[in-house]
Amino acid sequence: MAEAGDLMSRGALPSPVGTAIAIAHHGELIQGVFKDDDGRLHRGLVTLPIAGLRSEARFDRSDGDAVVVTPDHKIKAAAAARLTLDFLNVTGGGALTLQSSIPVGHGYGSSTADVVAAIRAVAAALNVQLRPSSIARLAVSAERASDAIAFDDHAVLFAQREGRVIENFAGSLPPLLLLGFKANGGVPVDTLQLPPARYDSAEIQEFGVLRALVARAVRLQDPHLLGRAASASAVISQRHLPKQGFDEIADIAERAGACGVQVAHSGSLLGLIFDLFTPNLKRRAALVAQQIRRAGFKDVEVHLVNAEGWPW
Amino acid sequence: MVSPAVDHFKDLETPRLALLAPNLVAAAFPLMKLMPARYILDRAASNGELKTGSHIVETTSGTFGMAVALLAAARDYRLTLVTASTLIDAKYRARLERIGATVIALDDPRGDGNQPGRLERLQEILAKEPDGFWTRQYDSPGNWLAYARLAELLIRAIGKVDCLVGCVGTGGSLCGTASFLRTVFPHLTVFAVDTHRSILFGQPVGRRMLRGLGNSVLPKNVRHELVDEIHWVGAYPAYMTAHRLLREHGLFMGPTSGAAALVAQWVATTLPDAQVAVIMPDEGHRHAETVYNDEWLSALPGWPCKELSEPRTLTTIAPAAETQWTRFLWLRRSLGDVLKTQAAGEVPPAVGAAENL
Repeated sequence: MAEAGDLMSRGALPSPVGTAIAIAHHGELIQGVFKDDDGRLHRGLVTLPIAGLRSEARFDRSDGDAVVVTPDHKIKAAAAARLTLDFLNVTGGGALTLQSSIPVGHGYGSSTADVVAAIRAVAAALNVQLRPSSIARLAVSAERASDAIAFDDHAVLFAQREGRVIENFAGSLPPLLLLGFKANGGVPVDTLQLPPARYDSAEIQEFGVLRALVARAVRLQDPHLLGRAASASAVISQRHLPKQGFDEIADIAERAGACGVQVAHSGSLLGLIFDLFTPNLKRRAALVAQQIRRAGFKDVEVHLVNAEGWPW
Repeated sequence: MVSPAVDHFKDLETPRLALLAPNLVAAAFPLMKLMPARYILDRAASNGELKTGSHIVETTSGTFGMAVALLAAARDYRLTLVTASTLIDAKYRARLERIGATVIALDDPRGDGNQPGRLERLQEILAKEPDGFWTRQYDSPGNWLAYARLAELLIRAIGKVDCLVGCVGTGGSLCGTASFLRTVFPHLTVFAVDTHRSILFGQPVGRRMLRGLGNSVLPKNVRHELVDEIHWVGAYPAYMTAHRLLREHGLFMGPTSGAAALVAQWVATTLPDAQVAVIMPDEGHRHAETVYNDEWLSALPGWPCKELSEPRTLTTIAPAAETQWTRFLWLRRSLGDVLKTQAAGEVPPAVGAAENL
């Protein structure tokens, strides 16, 4: 981190203010435990990013030691800003301001988005670049468990409690349409109260298969293989954090020709994954949305993932 | 936990993937049984069943024995393999012993492998050894669970798998791979390959020429409900297909791989739109002086036989000659259910997955 300081001193006069954003996600495509190259097991997940919801952070450097955050309950983001200053060997503090459009408690990763935006804003205020891997590690230090949103749309298998990448899928997820909604009456889940899931041997072995599906789906940009991975992970998740009406949703997905069902593994979100290139997708999605509402689910929304300005 | 000292075994348990036809991929293993052997030993070590210096026992002289022998040597365990005199050749035995295994070869007057005698001897050893550990390849769930890795490799290489073809001996490789693939591809069609006079799929037990698949006892790891079709391949067509694999594809594999390839090539031709994968368990070195030796082959009565391009479909399960290849529509039933309908003389449908697709 001496290097970072050296770089700064050589650069232009750093601006005392930095702004940055971080996007939300719609829970996880897959989540479980995965073997690293040495055969050791790590808890890990693949995040499903949605760019439509975001957290914005602004960091104003000051000479005082304190980091003051607004709104003042966002203490994890404040801690992240402090850790980032320490990581970069910078003295002083600053004022951190956050503004977020991400709902809290459903699995959208609202707190990680705040944390990542805060880390990026501090780096911007110091005129320093941080690699996604460093941002992710700082995020885990700040909030104990984090998701992979520091990597934006880049698909990685991320160890959410260790802050490291288990596998880099070397690309972004295939373009897809996500029909998202909330189960369990839309009641938020307090993720910190959830004990980590205990998986049996067959589930642990199956996670390797799901990870292979994601790798292939990213490599060939195949939303169908991605959907199968998500559905299988969602079925396993039912044993650990059940969603009411899951079987009904699986039926609707199958009849609608969806690629799969996706869930927030520590939230109330459910999603149906569609291939963006399906004929009449707009009309079909509207029909499916109606069925989902009729089945009693809340807040049905359409998200485009990696759709590159796809007209909707 | 895997130490770097033994990690090169991973290469021996990783198959080459060979394209045998536009829609047919073979997973050709140097030594497939390392996969379950390693998984079973790793799990036993981590849950405390296997301690430093433990004595491992198993009733095999086949490739599972070789796999355990390699791992036991690398990890400093004692190993005793109990087999039958009819099942082991001198060179393979010498190789196992050089690695450090103790090999006990029991008499086998009936020529069926003397499995009861072998199990009795194994129990005697376990009774004497407080730190004894039996790998139980026939019944240990670790056997089938280990094959998630094969499912994983196939998916990374070819994506969706429509048909899986593989031999059944302990049931581990075919049932394990099939079960993991079917979780994500529910329409997967499973073709099991056995040989005449093996009891696994309801034939009466008898002397078998084709070793390495089939069985005289029924392992727990054989899960009949996963199987759509069963094919019984005799020794001759298996040997001939193994030769053809070497000639046409440069794959020097054991005869059970020949049996699997024969069935897989037929499946791939019959179902040109399906993506087919076939499991080939080990290389041909062990069979250099038999299956790959003209002198040995020419002593076989009636060798070579007519090449077969399709199986004969049976409606009643019955053994056939070593020159024959038969097929029966199992339709994901239990062994009990199939035997009941056979006893009642009910004739099952003669049209299977292959014809329906």
